[in-house]
Amino acid sequence: MTRKDVFRAIADPNRRAIIGLLANQKLTINAVAEHFSISRPAVSRHIRILKECGLLVVRRQGRERYCEARLDRLSEVAEWVEKSRSVWEQRFDRLDEYLSALQKKEKPHGEK
Amino acid sequence: MAKNDVAGERVKQEVFIARLFDAPRGLVWQAWTDPKHFMLWWGPRDYTCPFCEMDLRVGGKYLNCMRSPKGREYWGTGVFREIIPMERLVFTDSFADENGNVVPATYYGMSADFPLEMLVTVTFEDQDGKTKMTLRHTGLPAGPDSEGTHQGWSESFEKLAESLK
Repeated sequence: MTRKDVFRAIADPNRRAIIGLLANQKLTINAVAEHFSISRPAVSRHIRILKECGLLVVRRQGRERYCEARLDRLSEVAEWVEKSRSVWEQRFDRLDEYLSALQKKEKPHGEK
Repeated sequence: MAKNDVAGERVKQEVFIARLFDAPRGLVWQAWTDPKHFMLWWGPRDYTCPFCEMDLRVGGKYLNCMRSPKGREYWGTGVFREIIPMERLVFTDSFADENGNVVPATYYGMSADFPLEMLVTVTFEDQDGKTKMTLRHTGLPAGPDSEGTHQGWSESFEKLAESLK
């Protein structure tokens, strides 16, 4: 898996569930694992992947290690979507103009 | 909950655009699939398209280039996945170098989060003597499909939004 690939990270249902679980609360890794039927090492692996792509941080508090969701990375994706939309809209403005110009050329008598 | 709303707000799905063109469907289709036409509109305003090649068949590749007003070139490549003449065109979309090799978005100074492969779906239909075109542009998860997911990026995001409720 490509490091930092948010898209890949959220493609997995267990990882999405982990993010959902942590959206409103921080939990220890054990507490997270209790919510899942998959093995504890499997949960740890998902947490590591989420950590690597910046969707989650693990902080030590006393003896415990708490997982916290970091949803900022998702907004970077949303920003990209907005930029990409603008590029497409500009292309289609040009396509619109091009199609009009093309039809004028093909129909010199101005019929529609 | 406010926090959940914020999370939901951030989970944007994909780019979806519907446009009505005052032109026959065949011409709009041609504008997408004939390089001669394609080169005259591809790219944002003030950009040019100095290169475009298409092997228009399922599994066939394309390679094109957008050049910015400052002369910066952005090459794109992909494979046609579905071709239903005048109705539907589906192709993958990746950044490329000028030789057509797929490159990560970081090659063009963009975020490493950008998926290596995107999917573009364009549909065409008649509507009141005009042509309605829709575009859907979404990411495909990068890397080998070891976890059995063939779904697009938008589906993951929808499901994530669901789990954040």
